[in-house]
Amino acid sequence: MAQAALVNRHMPVIWRVAFRMLGDRQEAEDVTQETFLRAWKMLPDWEERAKFSTWACTVAINLCRDRLKKKRPVLMDELPEQTDVALRPDQALHQNQASAHITSLVDALPDRQKEALTLCAFEGMGNIEAAKTMGVSVEALESLLSRARRRLRSELSYERAGQEGH
Amino acid sequence: MNDERLLELIAAYGAAPMAWPEAEREAALAHLDAHPARFEAALADARALDHAFSTEVLPDAPAELAGKIMASAPWPDTRAARRPGPGLAGRMKELVFPNGLRWPAGATVAALVMGLFAGVATAPATAENGYSTDGEQVVYSALGYDNFAAYIEEVDG
Repeated sequence: MAQAALVNRHMPVIWRVAFRMLGDRQEAEDVTQETFLRAWKMLPDWEERAKFSTWACTVAINLCRDRLKKKRPVLMDELPEQTDVALRPDQALHQNQASAHITSLVDALPDRQKEALTLCAFEGMGNIEAAKTMGVSVEALESLLSRARRRLRSELSYERAGQEGH
Repeated sequence: MNDERLLELIAAYGAAPMAWPEAEREAALAHLDAHPARFEAALADARALDHAFSTEVLPDAPAELAGKIMASAPWPDTRAARRPGPGLAGRMKELVFPNGLRWPAGATVAALVMGLFAGVATAPATAENGYSTDGEQVVYSALGYDNFAAYIEEVDG
């Protein structure tokens, strides 16, 4: 059945993107459902040249942006960078905690950087598709990715230095 | 491809060549093979971050979410899809009844009603002995009952 195949293939990615953007399971679920509701309406007029994954991720990201705007009217890119995200050294030793740690570091990134990193580094999307999904140029996408990675590297180096100093 | 561009690719996409843009991957790999020492430090940094990413485990989507989404999906009319095309008998029926069976069915009902009216109007009243007359028998037959007794049985329960 076409609908089931579409859901099985794309729902997990859309949910993960929404979850990473919003940090809330229920909100991620709402966004995923809303994305597919829009897809069902679109399907009769679907243009074959459009890639469903690109379209669906674009819708999901826009829905996430709307929700984030309602929560925080100020653009995250304009906010001062957070530095207080480090875990204690004993916590970082545990695998689950290490996972939660990187999640918290990514979560603290500005929204656009988080979007770019989510699509390319975590979901393995190609640069052209990711740029299209975000509505930016490939150059802008690369800039966002570089800044995100530089910042994360800096955070991790800072923590490592802190752990070695203790 | 040059040093600057390869460093940009590593900085943006990480150390794994598969993550680099497909259009530039081959040239980037050739450049890296030609000058590996120039990119060692950048690759080591990027690899450490890639490893940190790989440790992350996101929770799975809720198990019931797919079901909820499927419940909202529009379903195609499978009955229409399964309905076979008209066979020989169907084509003959279309030839004989180009407007479908509705018209002959309507004509049959009209004939029954007229027959009932004619029967009631012309037949003598039910015999005093309780037996139906021949005229009544015709009417009840037309209504689908074997005889007057069958009609009474159904009406009276």
